[in-house]
Amino acid sequence: MMVLRESIIMKIHYGTAIGALSLTVVHILMRLTQDFHESLAYENVIANYESVGYALLLELLLILISVHGFNGLRVILLEMNQGPTYEKAVTIGCLAAMAGLIAYGSRTIIMTSMGMV
Amino acid sequence: MERETGAREGLKGWLNPGKIGKFGIERLAWLLMRLTGLGLLAYFIGHIWETSHILDGKAVWDKSLEMTQTTEGHLFLALVIGMCVFHTGNGIRLMIAQMGYGIGKAERPDYPYKPQSINMKGKACIYATLGMAALAMWYGMAVMFA
Repeated sequence: MMVLRESIIMKIHYGTAIGALSLTVVHILMRLTQDFHESLAYENVIANYESVGYALLLELLLILISVHGFNGLRVILLEMNQGPTYEKAVTIGCLAAMAGLIAYGSRTIIMTSMGMV
Repeated sequence: MERETGAREGLKGWLNPGKIGKFGIERLAWLLMRLTGLGLLAYFIGHIWETSHILDGKAVWDKSLEMTQTTEGHLFLALVIGMCVFHTGNGIRLMIAQMGYGIGKAERPDYPYKPQSINMKGKACIYATLGMAALAMWYGMAVMFA
């Protein structure tokens, strides 16, 4: 298994944090371009997804937050307990959960933006 | 190698209020960083699941939105906003500290051995972050309850 140094992983952690923060600001501002409740209406949300730029932003946001979130969880779990088997299990478990969440979220973005609803 | 388990307190050590009293606001920030991180990850997973209801049509989407359109739902979202702002503000403070800014210059350790890195700048940032989180929660509630 390819092993990244913790110093590299922390740089990825900080990079994904800054990226996710910038995109989250845009994501929230999209809700404030009109009345908050109105912006969440079915037709408006579908229109958001059908915009290619916004769909790409959502996909990137999904990846950045998933990487940051599950790496954060991995760090917390490694702080609480250590050991070669435990550490490997935590790393593999977090990677699998991250991949699963990205796949599930991508399915929503791709299907909605392609009009498969 | 024999493992040392006696010093490991796990979750009990995390949540022990005596540790916050002993180690101060920095310890509270350490704890809140982890709790808000876990809370935000749980919210994110829920958010991905909730938004996937758009694939099931308007009726299901509207029903799923109803969960957050209640007073309890708004209060929950306000808590999420607060967690998000605290996690972001404190994360930026930690990044800046790891780059070496605001943590003082290294000097000879003399009694009473006060660490240079735990100083008023850091404490002020933590209090400011807590204040910003509270303000953001208030603004979020003003928008949602409007």
